Amino acid sequence: MKKRDFSQLRSMWSEFRRIKFGMVGLALLGMFVVVVLIEPLIVPFPDAATRWRDMTYWVDNPRNAKPAWVNWFTSKDYAPSARIQSDNIVSGEFGAGKLYQAELPYKYSWDKAPSDVTLRMNVTGNARYEAEFIRPDGLSVTYQKTSQGAGTRDLRISVAQNLQPQLYQFAGKYEDPRVMQSTSASTINPLAVLFSQAEKGALLSGSKPLDGTYTVRVKVVAADATSSLNEAELIVAGGVQGVLGTDNMKRDLWSGLIAGTKWALIIGLLTSFIAVVVGVIYGVTSGYYGGFVDSLMNRIYEIFSSVPLLPILIVMSAVFKPSIWIMIAMMCIFFWVGPVRTVRSIALQIKEASYIEAARGLGASNRRILMRHMIPQLVPYAFASMALSVPGAIVYEASISLIGLGDATRVTWGQILQAAFSSGAVLQGIWWWVVPPGVAIALMGMTFAFIGFAMDTILNPKLKTR
Amino acid sequence: MYAKYVGKRILYAVIMYAVIIFIFSALFNTVAETVMRTQIQETMRAYRQGLSADRRLSGEQVSAMAAARQEELYDQYRLNEPVVTRILSRTFDTLFFRFGDSTIVRSSAGESDVWTIISEAIPRTLLIFLTAIAIDIVLGVALGLYKARKAGSVMDRATDIGTMVVFGLPAWWVGMMAIMVFAFIWPVFPSSGMHSAPPPTSSLGYFLDLLWHLTLPVLTLVVLGFWGRAYLTRNVVLTTLQEDFIMSARARGLTERKILFGHTLRSAAPPIVTMTLLALLGSVAGSILFEGIFSWPGMGNLYWVAVGLNDIPVLMGNLAVTTMLYMAGLVILDLIYGFLDPRIKVSGKA
Repeated sequence: MKKRDFSQLRSMWSEFRRIKFGMVGLALLGMFVVVVLIEPLIVPFPDAATRWRDMTYWVDNPRNAKPAWVNWFTSKDYAPSARIQSDNIVSGEFGAGKLYQAELPYKYSWDKAPSDVTLRMNVTGNARYEAEFIRPDGLSVTYQKTSQGAGTRDLRISVAQNLQPQLYQFAGKYEDPRVMQSTSASTINPLAVLFSQAEKGALLSGSKPLDGTYTVRVKVVAADATSSLNEAELIVAGGVQGVLGTDNMKRDLWSGLIAGTKWALIIGLLTSFIAVVVGVIYGVTSGYYGGFVDSLMNRIYEIFSSVPLLPILIVMSAVFKPSIWIMIAMMCIFFWVGPVRTVRSIALQIKEASYIEAARGLGASNRRILMRHMIPQLVPYAFASMALSVPGAIVYEASISLIGLGDATRVTWGQILQAAFSSGAVLQGIWWWVVPPGVAIALMGMTFAFIGFAMDTILNPKLKTR
Repeated sequence: MYAKYVGKRILYAVIMYAVIIFIFSALFNTVAETVMRTQIQETMRAYRQGLSADRRLSGEQVSAMAAARQEELYDQYRLNEPVVTRILSRTFDTLFFRFGDSTIVRSSAGESDVWTIISEAIPRTLLIFLTAIAIDIVLGVALGLYKARKAGSVMDRATDIGTMVVFGLPAWWVGMMAIMVFAFIWPVFPSSGMHSAPPPTSSLGYFLDLLWHLTLPVLTLVVLGFWGRAYLTRNVVLTTLQEDFIMSARARGLTERKILFGHTLRSAAPPIVTMTLLALLGSVAGSILFEGIFSWPGMGNLYWVAVGLNDIPVLMGNLAVTTMLYMAGLVILDLIYGFLDPRIKVSGKA
């Protein structure tokens, strides 16, 4: 295309720059693009997009943890998630094998205990291990076990799962015998006991939190020369975690939300681009040729436009179980009707213009007239139409996902909302799972609505004021 | 003249509907027949068991009778005929509301006939959406007129922003939020369903209970919907206000009120009505997920149930009925337009 073909776009841009909300929309779009580009840098779990449904990837996270910033608004602070790596593992001779020792300090200064504390040890071969949880007041509980096996593997000691009997006994020393009778090791919250003052009421989470540095002392006796302790790490699964908390599958929602941004942009832009290009060419062709071609094309258009969109997409998805790309194709099949009617009426006007007649007189082919003289005129309208159909495409994908028919191998906002809705997050009040994906959809919709409405205002200057 | 127009429009819509149903039948032929074969197999298993229980029959007799019965069933469901005949016959069945039997979903009386199941749901869906539409139009047109009169003002621009903000908002998500706020955090409305369990016995109590359950979903739809209506009304009215006859009315010294309601609204009405109804029709079809969020037992909820249980016959029947209602809406729209616009009433052309 030659330079002059863009003159219309250039004049449109100079007008666009003066519309405030249009520029806001453009800035938001820029922000979304930047977010997609720097995705690995801003999320704590960069593999979220590919391992969203892989339970092992999320194992160390807390379940249903609130966002970290909730602490700013509550009088009782939740312990946030943390990871403490041991910097030095001391090893020494011990009979035929070796004795490994490590200390992991954890500074605790919150009001509500974390939901779990897990000691992860990476060992090779046979090992007998002992973990001593030493509290700031000097008291401690100990856990011992022997693990036999070949090869290198992770061993996990979870306070919530493994230390219940020890902590029940520990708190029992300060508790009324009657309270002991009415409770059992499996009904108490071991974390609350570990992080509370050793006094009466600790068993029922009735005593004050005990602040200070907790130390986990790890001793591993490796039975023979081939066995060893390679790594020790303390994983605190907090009551709050990250920017947006976690869901009931322990997944980090911020990572999921950012991973979904890319798909929202792909779905929205690809669908609207293909649909509008097809629609514009269809409308121009229909308007330009007229007569039999026009009425035939009109009939086909009417068939497509009188089918209710979401129901047919739902039934097609239920029957054909589409991947995300097929779903985009399915949406394109019905989205192209959007601009047809307007484009056709514009084309009917343009085709009467004298320069079209002149072009025809000079022997230009129909194809050339359509492509070189008519379609370029429609580019501004096409852009506005594209921008305005992006939100629709995103919402349709989210809707199909919500009903459970989406592409389950991708992380889209709709998929996150589907998981939230089907596991009852709405009625359990897990707002940090329901609100952000919807806000993201709304924000993305708003972005393109701002851009589209701004272009619409330029194309219809009569509508600005009276 | 208008009667001729009406007749033509309806006939045309019926032909279109038949074409669309034919396309659906062809598109979903394979899956529909798979379901039928499974249903026949079920019947055959029961039939064979019945025969084997009869000690007077030998093994050969049993298999011969079973084969005959299977053939009979295949004939009955037209599975022995060529593909084209099968698709055509299914098209006709669908056109006459013979959707067959559901696989799992049952009507409230326990019947498995798909049409019975769907026809139960239709009035419930109409109730919720017609209520919402009525409120929506009144609010939207009122705000739109106001915006047009004060075009360019702060209020006008602020509500424009409102329109854009709700533009890409999925109704079902707003429904979720409404449930979370008004049924969980501050429980003033029920979170789901159409009636309390058990429903009140007195008819007034029953009605009030229904109204109470209706409030939250209708409120959500209206709050989302009327912005778009206002924006549209504003634009149509504003375009009309710039016409010459309005200027001449002004020159004659008519009051602004008279110009707005007597002249402008009269000529702006047809596009406002059609575009409003068209947008609403789109939102009705688009809001079918909305019913699922509120467990409102209408046609939208039926999609959820049928998808959840993978009940293909119900899904297809529901699609056919939804399409029919949607097209009926389009026809009504055209008829109203024709009625309001005298040019169409007289010439009989759309």
